[in-house]
Amino acid sequence: MTSLRAFTCDDLFRLGGAALDAVLLNCGPQYGIPFYLQYLAHWPEYFIVAEAPGGELMGYIMGKAEGSVAREEWHGHVTALSVAPEFRRLGLAAKLMELLEEISEKKGGFFVDLFVRVSNQVAVNMYKQLGYSVYRTVLEYYSASNGEPDEDAYDMRKALSRDTEKKSIIPLPHPVRPEDIE
Amino acid sequence: MAARGHVQDPNDRRLRPIYDYLDNGNNKMAIQQADKLLKKHKDLHCAKVLKAIGLQRTGKQDEAYALAQEVAALEPTDDNSLQALTILYREMHRPELVTKLYEAAVKKVPNSEEYHSHLFMAYARVGEYKKMQQAGMALYKIVPKNPYYFWSVMSLIMQSISAQDENLSKTMFLPLAERMVEKMVKEDKIEAEAEVELYYMILERLEKYQEALDVVRGKLGEKLTSELQSRENKCMAMYKKLCRWPECNALSRRLLLKNSDDWQFYITYFDSVFQLIDESWTPPLEEEHSLEGEVHYSIEQAVKFIEERITEESKSTRPLRGPYLAKLELIRRLRCRGCNDEYKLGDPEELMFQYFKKFGDKPCCFTDLKVFVDLLPSSQYTKFISQLLEVIPLSSTTESEIALPADIKALQQHLCVVQLSRLLGIYHAMDKKQKLTVVRELMLRYHHGLEFGEEMAVWQCLTLLEEGLSHSPSNAQFKLLLIRIYCRLGAFEPVAELYSSLDAKHIQHDTIGYLLTRYAESLGHYAAASQSCNFALRFFHSNQKDTSEYIIQAYKYGAFEKIPEFIAFRNRLNSSLHFAQVRTERMLLDLLLEANISSSLEESIKSMSLSPEEDDIPWKDLRDNRDLTVLFNWDPKDRDISEEHRKLSLEEETLWLRIRSLTLRLVSGLPTLSHSIQPKNSEKTAENGVSSKIDTIRSLLQQLEAAVDSGKKFLEQKIQYPVLGPPPTRMAGFFSNGSCQCQTSLFYLVSDIYELDTNGLEDSAEVQERIGNSFKSLIERLTDLFNKCKGDLIEVRDGTLKTQPNLLENLVFFVETISITQWVSSYCDGVLRPFKSNLQKKKKKKKETNVAMPPVFTHFLDYVTELQTLTSNVIDHIKGLEIILTALKLEELSLKDTLLLQEEKKFTKTVQGKVQSSYQHSVQEIGELLKKRLDTIKKLKI
Repeated sequence: MTSLRAFTCDDLFRLGGAALDAVLLNCGPQYGIPFYLQYLAHWPEYFIVAEAPGGELMGYIMGKAEGSVAREEWHGHVTALSVAPEFRRLGLAAKLMELLEEISEKKGGFFVDLFVRVSNQVAVNMYKQLGYSVYRTVLEYYSASNGEPDEDAYDMRKALSRDTEKKSIIPLPHPVRPEDIE
Repeated sequence: MAARGHVQDPNDRRLRPIYDYLDNGNNKMAIQQADKLLKKHKDLHCAKVLKAIGLQRTGKQDEAYALAQEVAALEPTDDNSLQALTILYREMHRPELVTKLYEAAVKKVPNSEEYHSHLFMAYARVGEYKKMQQAGMALYKIVPKNPYYFWSVMSLIMQSISAQDENLSKTMFLPLAERMVEKMVKEDKIEAEAEVELYYMILERLEKYQEALDVVRGKLGEKLTSELQSRENKCMAMYKKLCRWPECNALSRRLLLKNSDDWQFYITYFDSVFQLIDESWTPPLEEEHSLEGEVHYSIEQAVKFIEERITEESKSTRPLRGPYLAKLELIRRLRCRGCNDEYKLGDPEELMFQYFKKFGDKPCCFTDLKVFVDLLPSSQYTKFISQLLEVIPLSSTTESEIALPADIKALQQHLCVVQLSRLLGIYHAMDKKQKLTVVRELMLRYHHGLEFGEEMAVWQCLTLLEEGLSHSPSNAQFKLLLIRIYCRLGAFEPVAELYSSLDAKHIQHDTIGYLLTRYAESLGHYAAASQSCNFALRFFHSNQKDTSEYIIQAYKYGAFEKIPEFIAFRNRLNSSLHFAQVRTERMLLDLLLEANISSSLEESIKSMSLSPEEDDIPWKDLRDNRDLTVLFNWDPKDRDISEEHRKLSLEEETLWLRIRSLTLRLVSGLPTLSHSIQPKNSEKTAENGVSSKIDTIRSLLQQLEAAVDSGKKFLEQKIQYPVLGPPPTRMAGFFSNGSCQCQTSLFYLVSDIYELDTNGLEDSAEVQERIGNSFKSLIERLTDLFNKCKGDLIEVRDGTLKTQPNLLENLVFFVETISITQWVSSYCDGVLRPFKSNLQKKKKKKKETNVAMPPVFTHFLDYVTELQTLTSNVIDHIKGLEIILTALKLEELSLKDTLLLQEEKKFTKTVQGKVQSSYQHSVQEIGELLKKRLDTIKKLKI
């Protein structure tokens, strides 16, 4: 029971409620207004919000398309996926991921990928259930904050129909450094 | 910022080190290096600009500007200089200069695609839509690329959006934009999805919905692929505009077949079914029902359709809430039309019970059912709740008498029932004893559903919440509730810490910043108040710059529909109520803390570029961006924050802002009256049609009186916002403690003194007497205000703590009023002093002893003496408060409440300690400021 629609600037004013408590399933950088505006300006179709019948903001997904087509690296990327606590365990994250994959399919992407803290077992498991697998480990991808050490990220991928042989998701044998990824 | 280029230009090599220094923040070395380079290569203009950047970043704005203009005057056409100047101008917040720069460049190099495109972007940054339109076309003529053409079209739309005259926008700009696109369509030149989007946008704005529909459904519409269901959504919007209910119905029906959980389509489906019924619509005999296929046009069909969705749902792997709630929605709509259960949809109570059984363990169950509780007759409330309770597995242990949930699922279900009980008003109907029992029960259940009212309960609330927070240190609701309650008790110190732990980001400075700024200053936490204003202001100022960048990006990526949205977003922030409040309060606060203490009033006002004539608040367009629902609320509708509360609160905030802003402007007018600034015969300027400074003051004073009147009228309504609703403004206190009267009479005094100043001492007995009386009544009023500050902030009575936080607010108002008194008196002093020295000179010349001193001198001297005595008394009173607060031993306080557990006693102590410490902090800051004010009062000696 959700209305799904394009995210608009006015939704930014309502992020507080959800974002105050929200533990992002996919921990990215700390977002400022420019970050959201950049995505809205560049990939508006990849920015979707879910609303409850009472008008509450349930969650949102924000992503982009990037990579070289020639090298078969053109893909959809999940930048942020956030679901407000009171709307968890309803399969909303799965629904939003499904939409992002559908858009990426249409754009002719080879795969969809995302980064997640290796310690965020809940998120890793959820993505695995949705068909994602660990492609590689990115060392110290998340910079330290509040005295905690740097943390590694898993780069998780799911192949799309264009990658018929599922070449894009064959795991790399060795971890990589953040500067080595695009 | 590094310069690029395939072939290494020797100048690039020379400039390289300067760029590096700038990039590393080593501005001094950058300047030195630039100087060195300029000695050898006088014509290397870019070095000059880079030097200017260094100067700008080290605070030498004037030098930087002069240097930049030197280069700009040469109308440079090299990439390096242009880019560097662009960066410099942006840092100077002078984006309009970039347009000049590239205007000159394209004149010299008329075929440069790059410069033309920079020029277009420069115009975009400052919102010169007409020039953007021309620049886009100029670009297209040089390089016929589609995006350039459509930049130009989009600029026409922007002209239409920004045009004040709606007629002009509909008859000129939009039709022109439409024709420009049509031309491309005819020539079959449409390439990109963005171009079709733009076409649709134009037609929609022109209200040519049929044409828009044709575009979306036609060949061009095939390009609309990026966004999900882009074509369907657009068609739906147009069907609605055109009231094509058969199509609305068929399309929403189809989309629901695809996703039976999408609420927005249920709404359209029901809307359209009932529209069709009301129109007695019947399908055409031989053709298709509609453009979108089969149409449902009877209640029977709708009922069947919803029942089918529920059957389908039961086969789905993941339970979907949509179909079940749609059934409730259908029942509600049928009820509204007078139908009862003719269609055998079932009893809402039973359906909601079934829903609870299915989804009661989901946190959203409450908000879902909230929408439909009106379907229950109030006589059934209690029965409904007990029915729900029966299915929750609760088990009773020997230790506690109440039954507790067995697992997380049961806990969530129970929580939902508690929330629903509150929503249905079951708790509100109880008497006090029953309520307290429920509270006890809920406390044991670890829930914070406490009622406000008595101070006792407030302390209990704080205790419970602090305990809660210690177990869940990141629970935002606990923190927000603590913030609200501590503020109610007048304790700001813990609030600052709680707020900062919320880690409020960007937009939240606007949406929940009010939680902080409403109380920091009014409770005497001046330093914290400055800081919180600064956070907010930094956010608002950066918004202006940031949004411009993304408007430009949206042009580049063809996200045309986002451009008006970004501009509306920027406007919404710029006309934010909170922004205007923070701006005004920040300046008042600065004056309060600094003017005539660390710098003169005149200097302070000058440094803020304040002038009494200028009003920078967009009164008509003020936007209330406050998030008033940031706190969860489970109350019944009549106790929840309503639209009406929202409206009233905005009205109150605006009235209060007007009073504050007028006060600020009146104060900023004081220095303009003194001799040093204005030649004495200032009335002359009035003859030239420019109103004189005193006229401005007098007119502002009238406006202030009017604002005060409106404020008083507003308060007569005695509005009570819900406890967790918008906090009331400081206006009520301002009126009731008498600061308002003091402050307005001070500004009347200014007007009288000005009269004395211009007319001279002779024949001024009447004015002098008036001034004398004003002095006297002012002292009386200030004494009254002081009396309102007397009393104990915190005391132990009957074994419980009683607080009087309003004493703190009154003290803060006293200090503010004394400060304004001092500024006005200082103006008075400046007027009387030359009179006195003139008289003394005369006295010496004539060697007469009987030149009488005019009465106004004695009045003033007496007044200043009394002002000193009064201020000293208040300082003594504050010292007294400090001593009492320090001596107050809360540990010895044994709270009578026997209900408290040992664990809770620990948190009670924490809470009391925090409040006590906060009061100490307030009293200390207020006392220190008042001491500084006393010193400035002592300087008033004519």
